[in-house]
Order: sequence, then structure tokens, then C-alpha cells
Amino acid sequence: MFRHTFNTGVATALLLSLAPAAYSQELVIGLRAGPDSIDPHWSTLGSQAEALRHIYDTLVDVDETLQLKPGLAESWEPIDDTTWDFKLREGVTFHDGTPFTAEDVKFSIERIPEVTGPMSMTLYTKYVDSVEVIDDYTLRVKTKGIAPALPNDFTRLFVVPSETGEGVGNEEFNAGDAAIGTGPYRFVSWEPKGDLVLERYEDHWRGKTPWERVVRKEIPDDAARVAALRSGQVDLINYVPATDYVSMKNNSEVETFISDSVYILNVQPSVKDEEPQPIRVNGEEVEGNPLQDLRVRKALDLAINRDVLVNVVLEGLGTPANQLMPEGFFGYTNELGEREYDIEQARALLADAGYPDGFEVDFTCTNNRVPGDAVVCEALAQMWSRLGLTVNAQALNGTVFFPAAAKEEYTMAMSAWGTLTGEAAYTYGAMIHSKDPEKGFGNFNRTGYSNPEFDEVFVRGTQTLDPEERRKIYEEASLIAMEDRALIPTVILQSVWAANADKLTFTPRVDQETRAYEISPVGEQ
Amino acid sequence: MLGFVISRLLQAIVVVFAMSIIVFVGVYAIGNPIDVMIDPGATAEIRENLIRQYGLDQPLWRQYFTFLSNVVQGDLGQSMVYNTSVTGLVFSRLPATLELVFVAITIATVIGIPAGVYAGYRPNSFAAKTIMALSILGFSVPTFWIGMLLIMGFAVELGWLPSGGRGDVGTLFGISTSLATANGWSHVILPALNLSLFKMGLLIRLSRAGMVEAMQTDYVKFARAQGLPDRQIVLRHVLRNISIPIVTVFGLELGSTLAFAVVTESVFNWPGVGKLIIDSILQLDRPVMVTYLILVVILFVIINFTVDIVYARLDPRVRLGGSR
Repeated sequence: MFRHTFNTGVATALLLSLAPAAYSQELVIGLRAGPDSIDPHWSTLGSQAEALRHIYDTLVDVDETLQLKPGLAESWEPIDDTTWDFKLREGVTFHDGTPFTAEDVKFSIERIPEVTGPMSMTLYTKYVDSVEVIDDYTLRVKTKGIAPALPNDFTRLFVVPSETGEGVGNEEFNAGDAAIGTGPYRFVSWEPKGDLVLERYEDHWRGKTPWERVVRKEIPDDAARVAALRSGQVDLINYVPATDYVSMKNNSEVETFISDSVYILNVQPSVKDEEPQPIRVNGEEVEGNPLQDLRVRKALDLAINRDVLVNVVLEGLGTPANQLMPEGFFGYTNELGEREYDIEQARALLADAGYPDGFEVDFTCTNNRVPGDAVVCEALAQMWSRLGLTVNAQALNGTVFFPAAAKEEYTMAMSAWGTLTGEAAYTYGAMIHSKDPEKGFGNFNRTGYSNPEFDEVFVRGTQTLDPEERRKIYEEASLIAMEDRALIPTVILQSVWAANADKLTFTPRVDQETRAYEISPVGEQ
Repeated sequence: MLGFVISRLLQAIVVVFAMSIIVFVGVYAIGNPIDVMIDPGATAEIRENLIRQYGLDQPLWRQYFTFLSNVVQGDLGQSMVYNTSVTGLVFSRLPATLELVFVAITIATVIGIPAGVYAGYRPNSFAAKTIMALSILGFSVPTFWIGMLLIMGFAVELGWLPSGGRGDVGTLFGISTSLATANGWSHVILPALNLSLFKMGLLIRLSRAGMVEAMQTDYVKFARAQGLPDRQIVLRHVLRNISIPIVTVFGLELGSTLAFAVVTESVFNWPGVGKLIIDSILQLDRPVMVTYLILVVILFVIINFTVDIVYARLDPRVRLGGSR
């Protein structure tokens, strides 16, 4: 039976390759998560942005390694310290035929605070003070203070027509009445947690996409998604689990696509004067917090065998991490070498710090957030036990983990962090900078790490508009944070897509987005 | 009978009320939904604003009473994730679950009870032993695993049936359901079979046990001595006598299947309420969780109530005891 289907498949593929245009009409994709609403200003969720990108365009776009590229804005430049000018693309139309102008961008920016939900989009407009329309194709944005990352923030600024009007929310969008954008696809239908159906917008400024109709099916269960691909119900799936990836590699009917993701699993050692969960030696609580000692944090780092994590624990679907971002990101420093694994040196450091027989510590992480989080967590506990520590590893559901992590209840935790904007300020400002609610820094700094030197360098970066100069400053910041083991990065997770062989091809993206208009049918590139 | 009904209704209200408190306290203990939902890059100011906006900075009792007073006004709240009304959300998913459960229960009953009755009537035959062996499989092998096997077999290898999803929806007697189209049936059959196996095993064992016991009672012996044919004895007398435990279990199982078809719905990507509640739990979508659990409680209360009425019909002694 299998062979038969396969042969028919090959025959059909051969036949169809003679007439590719006829066969490349519909694309059905099986995805782990879909949007929560069709209103593009409702939520910052990655799966939301990924889906809505098909219907709406953003002012600024990003390529597959998250470097900025023109979107609805063709170019942008700072005029002075607190003013940015955006030059907009001409000749763009919305799906209802109205032309796109600067008024629509202004309307979209001002609409965000009115309609956003618990994952607040105001995150992307927090630097915007006021918006001014200079002419139809020039937009001037006044910022609160110096805002070098404004174009990065605008990579999530979806533009809706100004005719949308006020008081229109999720219901009107979900029904389709208000779901009008300038994107490569028109909205056809959607239901929560169900299928999002799209049809090609013929007049899109990037040119026609190869697929006339796209169905994005939401299939959260990993096994169900794989089964849908294998039974031919969908053409492509994302988030292939490691176990299935191994068997797919040997299957000629399926093709896999792999890419580094932005997500890195970081160990977060609390360096507060008093650790939230006690650390014990021989059952006795220790005086002070051993994790405050840099030697201890270095020992923890040296005891991690990242090659084993990648090759054994993650079945090859990862890359060793030596800093908080993947290579090539804005602020990634090349001056850090690969992390060493040296258990002898680690033991020596630990003994030096006064813990020759190790200590007992709790270690908490998520088990459903990203693929591999629980297994890496357990593997780390074992690696540290070789160092002489007693590690009580506990992998928890994100629903339980995150609220407790927010209350800083963990002495040692591990969770995934993605530098979603592709540049360092996002990560450093949230996790490494000292907690400073006034300035809005350190909201995700749950370890109590505070280094005035780092803060000074980082803040200098946020005040520098020249990109090259800023890049150098952030590279310096990377060095300081990693030298200090403010966090201990372990592995960069990779993501895997799988498709029926001979149907389509695409370049995977580090932000894990599956964009239908960037997928091309085989033989039609 | 009226007193019986009223006292049951009062009990039901108390149960629903208690349940809402338990759920509220439970969710509150897990923590702040904003911490689960919020974007990593959000500033402290954004976070504080959100917590205020959703009233999460209020003490638990005040949040609870706000909720309660809204409920009294008929408003069960908006989903935090979808920003649509919770009742609308739950009821838009209910038909999918209902049709799945309906087919599953039908399969379980139509196959399970006759098979069990037969196995009890001829306990030593080969067919009876086979039925019993299969029934053990039915409720000892995990549902998700059988589900995967069904998908591997019928969808992936044979390609006869789709591996998941709900399929085309048609209209039948004014209700929109996938049971109205052939494509819909092809989607419903595998998950329904999967969902029915546990119940089928249970019904087989229950009816067999009842049957074996009943066949040795005096009334059957008398009937036989009178010369009544076995067929008549079984259909007219025995079945009626063994149906009380079956009805109880059937009722409870109906409820739990409706409420917790989660596993099957996940494996087969069935867009029912089970999946909705799991997603809501993972995102701590408090209004949806509370509403759903309360609906489940109401559902169980209704089912138990119906079961009691059926009892009373089957066995007058229950009725007499209940009205006292």
C-alpha cells in the first residue's frame, strides 16, 4: 500500500511538473499555533503576528535572520534625537481598493492603545510620543527620548485603513468585515483554534504569490500534526518533534527544513543576598548565597557539556550557545569563543569557593514551553551532579512556572528566551539591566543581577542613534554580561519543518514564522 | 416526586456555587494570568496597567464578587485571550463535542450491551471469552495510544479516512453538524470509535456481570420451569433487572465523555470544548476556565438528575425512598 501510494505520488509529481501552474494553486499548512484574533492590534503573540502578516503588511519588515528590510516604508532615518521620518511606498492599495497613505499608519499607531489585550501591543509604540503626517507618503514620528530601536519596534506595526474607524474590535475583524489590509492575501474565514482560510490578493506590491488559496490549519498536538502530514491532509507542518524528525530523515516521501531559532535555554542563577529557595550543605542551610560567587557560577557553566546536550539530549536539533543571542544578531560579539567543558576545573573552582563537597539546590524549569526544555533541564541536573551538587530538578507547566518566576520564587531556574527583535537591546534591557521600573528596564531580571558597569554601557547604547557605534556598544555589553555569567546560556534550539517531498521549497526563518508567500512550489522558482 | 425534584435543584445550586468558589481559589493560587500571557519585552508600566485593567490587583474576594454580580446579570465575562464572550465561545464549540460524544456513545451502546449480554448468557463459549478479552483491552490501553494506532492504520497507511479535523458541516434538522455530510462522517468515525472503546469495555463487563448473576436467580429458574423461552426471559425480565447499574454508569460516563473528551479531541484535532478548555488552562484564561467548569458541574447535575428519574421509573423503591 505504502509503495503504491509512493509510486502514484512520483507519477503525479512527474505529470504535474509539466504543468506546475495548474498544480500550485492551494497550499495547506498544519501549524502548532494560530492567531487569537484577526485584529492585528490585539496581541503581540508570535503566532498571531505570523498569521496576520498574510493579511496586513508591517511598516518595516525583517528577513529570515531578523535583519531589517523595507516593508510599507521604503526607507527611514532619524532627523534629530527625537524625530524619525519614514518614507512610504507609493502605489500600494488595500484589499478594498483604497490607496494606502500616511494617514493609515497614523491611524494604526493611535489605534493600538485603544484595542490591545493582555499581551499588549503598546510594547511596540512605547517610544512614540506623537505622529505627524507630512504628506501622503511621509510620516514623522516624535519619540519619548532617544529611540534608536524604533524601526525594530515597527516590524510589528500592522497597518489597517484609517476608514476602519473607532470602536471596531475583535468581533468585526473575526467576522471579516474589518479584516482589510494591504497584505499578499485576503481574509476568507477563521474560527478560534480552527482554520484560517486566505486567498491571493492579485494587486499586492511585492507581486503575485504562487498560491491562489492558503489554508492554515491549527493542529497543536505534535503527533496529530505529523499524522496530518503523513496522511496527506496538509502539505507542510512546523514544529516537528525531535523523535519524528529522526524517522523522517530516512523517509524519501518527506522533506525536512531546519533552522536555528531565536530561542536559547538560559540558566538563571539568583544572585540575591538571600536566595528564594534555600541552598543546603549536608542538610544545613548555608550562610549567604553561594551563587553570588562568580567562581560558583563559572563552575556551573564549565560543568555543562553542550555537545552532549545537542547531540544526545536534543537528537541533534540544537547548537551550543555562548551568549544570549544567535550569531549574526545585532550585538552578538565574536570575541567570545566556544564554551569549554572542563569538569576538573569546575570542581577546583567550586572547592576554591568553599564548597568542595558541593551543595544541594533546587532547579526549576518549564516542560511545555519549547521543544526539549524538560529533557535539557534533567540533563543539566545530571551534569551538575557529576560536579558534586545535589540538584532537585523540577520541570513545571508554564502556567505554573511563569507566575512563580515573576514573583522570583526560584533560586535556580531555566527558561527559553528569544531575541525576537533580532537586536540586543530587547534582551539586555529586559533580563540583564538592573531592575528599574522608572526607566522600564530589568522587568525580566529575576536573578537580582546588578552591575553598574553593564548598566552604563547598555544605557549608552540606547542613547546612540548611529547603528555601527551602537552595535559596538552592545557587543561590549555582551562581553560583560557573559564574563559575569549573569545568565548561563546552554543551547540554541532549532526548529524543523516537514513537507511532502517534491511539492514546495522555502528558506526557514530564525523567528520560526511560516510565511506562505515565501514558500515556492518546486519547479517554479 | 415534586419534593424530590425541588430538593435536587437546591442541591444543584449549592454544588454550582461551591464549585465556582473552588475554581476561583484554585486559579487564584496558580497566579496572575498576565504573567503567563505578557510579552517578554513589556515594560513594568505596561504590566501594571494590564493588571489594573483586568482587575487582577483586587483582593480575591472582590474579584469573586465582581464575577458573581456579573453572572447574576447574565454576563459570564469575556475571554482574555479572544476578547469574545465566554458563553459564545463555549457554545460555538459545543456542537462538535456533542456530535462526537453522541456517535461514540451510540457505538458503545449498540455493540457493548448486546455483546455483554451474550457473554453473560453463554459465559463459557469461545465467543464470550473473546469478547471479554477485547473488553479488557478497551479500558486498559490508554486512549491516546489507541488513537494514534487508529490514525496510523486507517489514515496514514491505508489512507481511507482523514487523520483529524472536523470536515464539512451540513445542516440536519436545523442543527449544523458534520453528521449531515459524508465528508463529516468520514472525519467523525475514527475519533468516535476511539472515544467509545473505554465505554464499550465498561458496558460489556457490566452487562455480563449482571447477566451472569441474574441467570442464577430464582425468578429466572421459575420462569424457565414455567416453560418460558429464554429469549423472552432475557428480553422481558432479566434486562430490566440488570439495567439499573448500567443506567448509572451510562449516565456518569456520558457526562465524563462530554466534559473530558480532551484526549481524543487533541489526538484527532477535533475542535470541541475539550480542546478549548485545555488551551484556556494553559493560558490561564480565567473567565473561560470558570465558566466551563461551572457548565460541567451543571451538566453532571442534570445527568444525575435524569438518571435518578430513570431509576425511579425502573424501580419504584427508589422513588419511595427519595420522596420521603
